[in-house]
Amino acid sequence: MTQAIQDASLVGRGNEAGARLFREWFQGLTQAAEEQRGAAYVFVMGSLCELLRVFDFPIVFPEINSLQAAVRRVAHEYLNEAENYGYSPDICGYVKADVATQLRGGQHPMGKIPKPALAVCTNACNTYIKWGEIWERMYGMPMFTLDIPGSRGAGLASPRGGDDFERDRRYVEGQLTELITLCERVSGKRFDVDRLREHMGWANAMNQGWARVLELNRSRPAVFNALSDGTIYLGVANGFRGAPEGAAFFTDLVEEMSHKAFRGIGTATTEKWRLLFVGVPCYPIFRRFSELFSDWGGVFVNSTYLWFASGGANLGFTYDLTRPLESLAEGVLLGVRDAMDSMFFQTNALAGMIDDFSADGVVYHPIKSCRTVSTGLADSRRALMAVRDVPSLFVESDMMDKRVVSEAQMKNRIDAFFEGLAARRHQAGATA
Amino acid sequence: MAYAAGVDVGSTQTKAVVIDEGRAIIGRALTDTGANVMRAAETAFQQALADGGIPEEEVEFVVGTGYGRYKVTFGNTQVTEISCHARGAVLMFPQTRTVLDMGGQDTKAIRVHPSGEIVDFCMNDKCAAGTGRFLGAAAVALDLPLTELGPTALRGERAVKISTTCTVFAESEVLSWLGKGKKIEDILLGVHESIAARSIGLLRRVGIENEVTFTGGVTKNQAMVETLNKRLGLTVNVGAESHYMGALGAALFALDRIQAGRAPAARPAATGGTA
Amino acid sequence: MIPVFPEWHDQPLDEILYRSRELIEDTDFPTVRRWRDQGGKVVGHFQVYFPEEIAHAGGLLPFKVRGAPVEPTQADSRFGSYLCSIIKTSLELALSQRVQMELFVTHPICDAARNLAGVWGRNVSYPCRILYLPQNPNSAFAAAYLRDEYDRVRHLCEEIGGRPITDDDLRRSLAVFNDNRALLRRIYALRREQPWQLPADDAYVLVALGGVLPREEHNDLLRTALPLLERRAVPRQDKVRVVLEGGFCEQPPLDLLRAIARSCYVVDDDLLIGLRWLTTDVPIDRDPLGALATSYLERSAHSPVQHDLRKPKDRMLLERLEEAKAQAAILMAAKMCEPGLEELVVHTRALDQRGVRYFVSEFEENMTSFDTLEIQLETFVENLLFD
Repeated sequence: MTQAIQDASLVGRGNEAGARLFREWFQGLTQAAEEQRGAAYVFVMGSLCELLRVFDFPIVFPEINSLQAAVRRVAHEYLNEAENYGYSPDICGYVKADVATQLRGGQHPMGKIPKPALAVCTNACNTYIKWGEIWERMYGMPMFTLDIPGSRGAGLASPRGGDDFERDRRYVEGQLTELITLCERVSGKRFDVDRLREHMGWANAMNQGWARVLELNRSRPAVFNALSDGTIYLGVANGFRGAPEGAAFFTDLVEEMSHKAFRGIGTATTEKWRLLFVGVPCYPIFRRFSELFSDWGGVFVNSTYLWFASGGANLGFTYDLTRPLESLAEGVLLGVRDAMDSMFFQTNALAGMIDDFSADGVVYHPIKSCRTVSTGLADSRRALMAVRDVPSLFVESDMMDKRVVSEAQMKNRIDAFFEGLAARRHQAGATA
Repeated sequence: MAYAAGVDVGSTQTKAVVIDEGRAIIGRALTDTGANVMRAAETAFQQALADGGIPEEEVEFVVGTGYGRYKVTFGNTQVTEISCHARGAVLMFPQTRTVLDMGGQDTKAIRVHPSGEIVDFCMNDKCAAGTGRFLGAAAVALDLPLTELGPTALRGERAVKISTTCTVFAESEVLSWLGKGKKIEDILLGVHESIAARSIGLLRRVGIENEVTFTGGVTKNQAMVETLNKRLGLTVNVGAESHYMGALGAALFALDRIQAGRAPAARPAATGGTA
Repeated sequence: MIPVFPEWHDQPLDEILYRSRELIEDTDFPTVRRWRDQGGKVVGHFQVYFPEEIAHAGGLLPFKVRGAPVEPTQADSRFGSYLCSIIKTSLELALSQRVQMELFVTHPICDAARNLAGVWGRNVSYPCRILYLPQNPNSAFAAAYLRDEYDRVRHLCEEIGGRPITDDDLRRSLAVFNDNRALLRRIYALRREQPWQLPADDAYVLVALGGVLPREEHNDLLRTALPLLERRAVPRQDKVRVVLEGGFCEQPPLDLLRAIARSCYVVDDDLLIGLRWLTTDVPIDRDPLGALATSYLERSAHSPVQHDLRKPKDRMLLERLEEAKAQAAILMAAKMCEPGLEELVVHTRALDQRGVRYFVSEFEENMTSFDTLEIQLETFVENLLFD
């Protein structure tokens, strides 16, 4: 195979495969809805897909449904409907878009969303819990809240194997056994530990792949854009967690990205600036938002979004399949805890990211909808600027609500940021 | 002798400045932006040329800035007003480390390196509280010309506490205080205090470092200057050209390009204001 | 320790209430200052609930951090937009040194508050820790987990206080707090049975004192004031009986409560519910920490920020209305308060279904003018009276 043919067969494969998998996923959901099969409603920070797939639940991620509504430019209809129903403009846009989806009997731009047979959430986000309560009331379906004790303070994540960690892990494991009982009741199927091992095995392949792919972006030029491409991969990392397709996708993605790194093939943008993204993308104008940076040659090489919104899969944790339940508890605890740390105690991790990925700048994008991500961001930024002399930009909008997204205002700030980066590089060149 | 020009198209007013290679301001002009932004830009530019007695052909590079910067179609490039205000302020006051630009519709806080490079910036353009628009609303409510607001406020003794953060409701709050028998002077002083507090809130986000340079249209309001000084505990720089800071900064960027030898042979033709 | 609030001693009832009100409205927190002046140490805890007995057992003063009507001039720049006021003003208290403490503990009650430990930790010199109270209290494993968490808090308090906290210390503290909760229940019983004896704003002040005083002093004051309140001659008026819901975290200004009390009798509410979270005595057990943990899980009130399958939100408000024999509800949500705003939807629907009338409003802890709100409320009450 000539180089050109190999390039052509590999480069862009992940994006295409990701889009295809998404379509198939939603086709499957539409079918489930038509057959009136209840789904498991789960969330990105601690989805427990490895376990839920054992009971053959169709998997629904309402967060992903909502962001798709924004990307497809119909979010405002859904938000209006939820606000007419009584929800405040000042609460999470994801929740409101989902309320409207439910009110419409599951009608969604990507197909039809089946109703929930049960919902599983962790305490990684309090909105998850209030959200689950909405479905409880709407459908009388059971909601399971999995307590994941996070780090008790900055730098205080208890080390694996220690007493403190074990106490937390045992609590998680105990709750998992209760979740299994609930799943058996709702699905009418017996729990099969061998199937759990299978799904955990596929999750292992995915975790390892995801960690490797993220690492490969240290290459120059970067092999994928953490903002635009990253969101596709993230979608698969969540929607196909614990599924064979998810494992295969990431194995292939590692191949593609390794190839690109080896051949020095970058993204579609000529890389002038390597940037980190902190926050949640601006989905209402997703493509345009990305262009506001790529027009200046800015490529996102990493993002905390790819950490916390993958539920900590970025850690590359490998489950021990000889002790599946114990190890599942350990993996979920580590992953969700790390996801929380990457939002609340992120200074050291970001400083490390800047160094490891040779970042020229950091873009903070707090959003109105998500207080979890956004509340501490201004202060977190100050802390980072105190330990790293790297320019950063702070630009606020939302991931759902177009009413608080002003492209002109954002462009103003983004342009000023790049003007500053250019002046800085010019200055450094002049004094070299 | 080559000339450089900057045109700052703001939401309410458009300013143009022409400088020479020694960075001295040779001509300046100010006009209302109005609905036809392109025409306002062209008009301000022509008036600045006339003010300086400079033939248009001798201006080798024009930079557009402000929210309407892409409408400066006769310009050679655009630079954000954030960069331009910082640049202009540092030229006028070389010890500038923080800039507060209070415009008609937005307020910016910018922190700069000694070199003029921007360290951080923060803008309030979500709402008009803390901008000149708040003053405008008060003026309407009290039926006073804008120019009277500052002098009247300076006569105030006990500033009234304005609690509303919304410009739209500021009018009714001002009237409500009048109804309760408060003096206009004290009410206006309260309005100035409120705007100053919001602006200083923005400044705190980027960090306040002496010297602080105050720019924008509101700089002519002595009451605002004094209120800021009092609350900041320092004396802000205010220059005669404070209104033109953005345009000046733009002109400086234009001069950079000329001196770097990147001046184009000809500039894009102006539309002649017939848009 | 010398009492930190002696001003009310040997005073008539009106003077006790007046001094108490002054103290609650004092944003310099003089009682905390006096405690520290004597060498005492302080454990600050954010809303909603904190197992204060543990800090108390270590000889520390538990201080409820719950914002204040102050301008967050320094704190504002630490946060972005679209946030409730209490998050900012609480940090302002620390940054402006109006209050100082040796330890700050929070619980992730909501997505904004879960950031507090991180933000405070970067801005103050004392440790800031998270207590993860179970959001899965229905798990059979929750009690053991919570007991371990409380043990962790005990160790923290031991480090701060510089001395061990024994089970006997804990039992003594449980007794003090049991007394306190019993006294608070008496206040609420009085408001239900004879609301004219104790208007909402005065009741609020008496409860709020618990957040700034050593509990022993609070108990003394309540033991003195309650008989006086129960006995005083106040004419009974024909006001509507309402339940006020929405004060579980950010607190409405006292003047707003006063304005509400002008139109109605507030016969029950969730104001500062964290100070009254445990609904019965905690058994003074062989295992005090375990008893405290079990009480949290099994014998506690409800709030929008605690999830418990046994306490569905729509039912809990209706129960409160029924038990208090209230005719209507005042539903408030702090501006930008996500759980509060979400809960409004549940409450309004539940009340609509039952045909119970309600008044909805948003509030902010540092609002100073209530004219609009008062007019609307009066109109609402008039409608009820003339039904």
